[in-house]
Amino acid sequence: MSGRKKTNWNKTMFKQYFLLVLPGLVIFTIGLIVPMLMAVRYSLTSWDGMTKEKPFVGFENYLSLFQDSDFLNAWWFTLKFTIGNTIIQNILALLFAVALDKGIKAQKLYRTAFFVPCLISSVIVGFVWLRMFSNVLPAINEALGTNINFLLFGDGDTVLSGLLIANNWQWIGYWMLIYLAGLQSIPAELYEAARVDGAGAIRRFINVTIPMLAPAITICIVGITTGSLKVYDLLVASTKGGPGRASTSIIYQTYTTAINGRQYGYGSAMSVTLVIVLLLVALIQVKELKSREVQA
Amino acid sequence: MKKKKVLSVFLATALIASTLAGCGAKSGETQSTDATGSNTDNTAAATEAPADASAEKVTLSVLAGQSTTDAGIEDMIDEALAKKYPNITLEWECVDWGNDFQPKMQQYMQSGLPDIMIGKAQDVKTYASQGILGAIDSTYTDRVLDAANTNVTIDGKVYGVVYNALYQGVYYNKDMFEENGWTIPKTQEDLQKIIDACKEKGITPFASHMADTWSIGNVTMQFAMNDVFNKTPDWGDQFRAGQSSFSDSKDFQTAYSYNKLIYDNTFKDTFSIEQTDCDSRIVSGEAAMKVSGSWSIQNFLDINPEFNFGIFPFPNQTGDSKLIFEPNITIMTNASSEYQDAINCVLDVLTGDKELAVEIYDYTKTAAMLKDVTPTFTNPSQEDIDAYAAKGQIVDVTLGNNQLVWGGFQEENAKDIAAWLQGDETFEQALKASDDRADASSAQ
Amino acid sequence: MAFTRRKEKDESPKQPYTKSTFVVQIIMTILAALFLAPIFIVINYSFKTKKELYLNSPLSLPESFNFDNYKKAFDKLNMVTTFSNTLLYTVISVLILALLCGLTAWAIARCKHKFFKFCYIYFIVGILIPYQALFLPIYIIGFNLKLTNTGYGIIFMYIATTISFGVFLMTSFMSTVPLELEEAARIDGCSIIRTYFSVVFPLLKPAMATLIIMQSFQIWNDYLLASLYVSKKQLKTLTVAIQSLFSAQTSDYTTAMAAIVISVLPIAILFISLQKYFIKGMTVGAVKG
Repeated sequence: MSGRKKTNWNKTMFKQYFLLVLPGLVIFTIGLIVPMLMAVRYSLTSWDGMTKEKPFVGFENYLSLFQDSDFLNAWWFTLKFTIGNTIIQNILALLFAVALDKGIKAQKLYRTAFFVPCLISSVIVGFVWLRMFSNVLPAINEALGTNINFLLFGDGDTVLSGLLIANNWQWIGYWMLIYLAGLQSIPAELYEAARVDGAGAIRRFINVTIPMLAPAITICIVGITTGSLKVYDLLVASTKGGPGRASTSIIYQTYTTAINGRQYGYGSAMSVTLVIVLLLVALIQVKELKSREVQA
Repeated sequence: MKKKKVLSVFLATALIASTLAGCGAKSGETQSTDATGSNTDNTAAATEAPADASAEKVTLSVLAGQSTTDAGIEDMIDEALAKKYPNITLEWECVDWGNDFQPKMQQYMQSGLPDIMIGKAQDVKTYASQGILGAIDSTYTDRVLDAANTNVTIDGKVYGVVYNALYQGVYYNKDMFEENGWTIPKTQEDLQKIIDACKEKGITPFASHMADTWSIGNVTMQFAMNDVFNKTPDWGDQFRAGQSSFSDSKDFQTAYSYNKLIYDNTFKDTFSIEQTDCDSRIVSGEAAMKVSGSWSIQNFLDINPEFNFGIFPFPNQTGDSKLIFEPNITIMTNASSEYQDAINCVLDVLTGDKELAVEIYDYTKTAAMLKDVTPTFTNPSQEDIDAYAAKGQIVDVTLGNNQLVWGGFQEENAKDIAAWLQGDETFEQALKASDDRADASSAQ
Repeated sequence: MAFTRRKEKDESPKQPYTKSTFVVQIIMTILAALFLAPIFIVINYSFKTKKELYLNSPLSLPESFNFDNYKKAFDKLNMVTTFSNTLLYTVISVLILALLCGLTAWAIARCKHKFFKFCYIYFIVGILIPYQALFLPIYIIGFNLKLTNTGYGIIFMYIATTISFGVFLMTSFMSTVPLELEEAARIDGCSIIRTYFSVVFPLLKPAMATLIIMQSFQIWNDYLLASLYVSKKQLKTLTVAIQSLFSAQTSDYTTAMAAIVISVLPIAILFISLQKYFIKGMTVGAVKG
C-alpha cells in the first residue's frame, strides 16, 4: 500500500473510527474526568461540603498542606507501605511463580490456593486479618506456650508490618499468576541455548528469565505501586488508620478531613496531590522500565 | 376528593398548602413536580391531625445512623407502623452512625435529604444550623421528657425527637466489689485504692479496647464532662475565642491524663482488642471496671445473662462527678419534604406506641426518653442510675458534644491521645494538636 | 512470536521430578497451607455459636455444623435480592465494558492519527485517578444526571471507572491481531463495524475473557460506588449489605463470617471453573507489555 493511499484512507476512516471511540470517551469523561476537575476546583475553595457557597481561597489549601503534620505523616505511611509492598510482593510473587514452574505436581491446586485470597474484597480481608492478629494467632501462642508478638495492629511500630502481611496475603497470588504466565511463555529453546553455553541455574535465571520477564515485571511493579498508593479499603475494617494515626494512608486522611472534619476544599487539595504523585510515579516507572525492556 | 381538598386549601391560602391533603396523599408525584411543597412549614401541616389511614400509599425515605445496639429496630418500627398506618411504608437506609452518617448527610445535602433522619442529639445542632431540619410539632415533643428536649431546642423550636438514652460512666462488676468489700469510689484517691487492691489480687483494674479509637474519644469526653464542663459549661466557646486552650487548661489536661491512668491499669493488648473481646473479659472476671456506656449492656447480657454489674461516674478532682447520659436515637425530619403529614404519622407511632417503645428499649437495653414508658429488661445497673437520678447527679453529654464536636475534633484528638499513650507523641504535642484544630471544634 | 509457547497441559517439559523438585513441593505445600489458613478460620468461625465464640479457643473446631449463622446472614443480607442485583450489575457492566473497550482499543490501535494517540493517554490517566478520593463530585454529577439510585446509574459508573484499564489491556492485545485479515475484509467492502465484528472480534476473545473476568471481580467486590449510588433496599449490592452487617454485628461476628463465605463462594466457583481462560488471558498482558 503506498503512503499516499494510506493517508487518504486514514482521512476517510477517521470519522468512522471516531464514532467507535466516542461512547467510551463520553462515559469516561463524565464519570471520572469531570469529577476530577470538580475536585480541582473545590481544592481552591474553603467549602465545608454542605453549604451552597463555596468561597474561593486560591492556593491557600495547598500552602497549608505543607505545614500539616497529619498530612505529611499520612504520606510517609503511604510511601512506606508502597515501597514495602512493591519489594516484597514482586520478589515473593516471582519466587512463587518460579517454584510452581519447577514442574511440581498438582500445580493447578497450588495456583488456586495462592490466588483465592485476591477474590475477597479488601474490606473483608482487613476484617479477617484483624481477627487473625487479635484472636486467632494469640491462641496459637497459648496452645504452643510460645510468646510471639502477634498483636501487630496494636502498636504504631508494628502496624505497618501487619498491614503488609495482610496485603501480601491478598495479592501475591495475583501477581504470581502474571509471572507464571510470563515464565511459561519463555521458549525452552532459550534455556537450552544457555545450558549449552555452560550457564548454571542462577546465571540462566539472571540472563534468560529476568530479561524475558521484563514486560511482566513492568506490569507488576506499576500495578503494585499505584495500587498501594491508593490503599484505603484494607484499612476501613481493620486498623481504621490507628493506633493513633500510625496507619493513616493518604486517602484515609483525605476522607476524614473532607468528610468527618467538614473541610471539603482542603480534603480535595489532598486528593489532588495524590493524583499528581500517582501520575508522576507511573510516568517515571513506565519510562524507566520500558527503556530497560528495550535494552534487554 | 383529596385533590379537591388540596385545591381548596391552595386557593384559600394561595400560598403553601400543597401538603395538607391528609396522611400520605402525594404518592405518585416525584419531588421535582412539587415545587411549592418544598416551602411548606411543617408545623402548619402538623396541626392537621394524622388520620385518614385509608389514604394513598406513601413511601418515606429514612436515613438511620445507628449505633451498634440499634441495628434491628427498623423492623420493629415497620411492623408497628403497618398496624396503624398501613398506607405508609418506610424505605430504610441504615448506616453506622460513627463512620457513615455524616458522609451520607453531606451527600444528601447536595441532592435532597431523606424525609426522616435518625441520628444522635448532637446532630441536631449541626444540621439545624444549615436550615434543613423541620421543627417538630409539640404534639410529639410533649410526649418526650422535658430534660431531653432542651439540648435539641434551637431558638425555641425543637428539631429532634429524642427517643432513648445511654448512660455513661464506669461499669463495675458488682459481685466482685461486694466480695472484696470495695465501695463506690468518689474521689481519685478512692479509685486508686481499688486499683491497688485489684492489682494485688491479680485482677486487671480496667477493661478497655483502645483498638477502637472512638472509645478513647468517648471516655475523654466523659472525663471532660466532670472535670471541665461541670465547672465551665462554655469552655468550647472560650476556647474558640482564644481565652483558653488545651495547653493552658489544667482541667482539660487532667481529663486527658486520666487516659494514662486507664492505660497503665488495663490489658496489655488493649490496642489490639475490640469491644466484644473486652466485654467478654470483664464478664469473665478478668477485669473489675470499664469506662463505657449502655451499649455494653447488650454485650454483657449476651455473654452472660447473669452478669451482675453497676455503674458509677468516673471520679473527678473535686469528688462531685455526675453520671452522664447521652440522648441517643434522635429523629429529625426534612423541612422541605413534601410528605409532612406522613412524617407526622411516623412521629405519632414512634412517640405514641408504648408497646413499640418498650420493645425497642428492651432490645437496645437503653433508657426511655418518652414519658410514662418503662423498659422491662433486667438492668442490674438500674438501681445505681435511679440513685444518681434521685440526687440530681446526672448530666447530659450533649452539652459537651455541642461545645466541642465529635467529628473532626474529639475524634481527631482521640488519635493524638492514642499516639501519646503509645509513646509516639509527647503529652504537650497531643495538647498542641488539639489547640491547632480549634477551627474544626464547632459545628458552625 | 517466533517460538512456540509451552502449552498449558504440559506445563513442565523436560523437567524430571528430581529431589529438589520434591523439596520445592514440600515448601509450597506448607506455604499453600498458610495461605489457606485464614480462609479455614473464617469457615470455622461461621459454624460457631455465639457461646463457643466467647468460651472456646478460636482454633477449636465448632461443636457441630450448625447453619444458623448462614440462615441469619442469608436473611439479614436479603440474599435473593442483593445477590441478583450484584449479579445483574456485574454482568451488564462487564458486557458493555467488553464491547466498548474492544471498539475503542481497536480504533486506537488501527488509526495512527494524533487524536487517537491522545485518546490512549487520556484513558490511561484514568487508571491512576483514585476515584475513592473523588466520591463527592462523583455523587454530585450522578445526581445531576439522575443516575443515583438507579441500576443503570451504577452500571454507568462501573463502566466509567474501569474503562481505562480495559482500553489499556485491549490495546496491548491488539498488536497480536494480524492486519492482513482486516485489510482483506475491507477490500471486500466491509464497513468498519462489520470488519470489527466479523474479523477482529473473534480474535479478541481471549483478551475479552481476561477483561471480563478481571473486571467482574472488581465490580462484584466494589463497595464505595455501590454505597454512593444505590441506597434503596431493593437495589443494594452484596458488599454494601455485608458492610452494614459488619458494623451491626460487632458483638456477633460469627454471622459476619458466614456472610463472608456466602459472598465469596460464587466468585470463587467462577474463578475455579474459568481458571484456564483467566490464566491464558493474563499471558496477554504479561507477554506483550
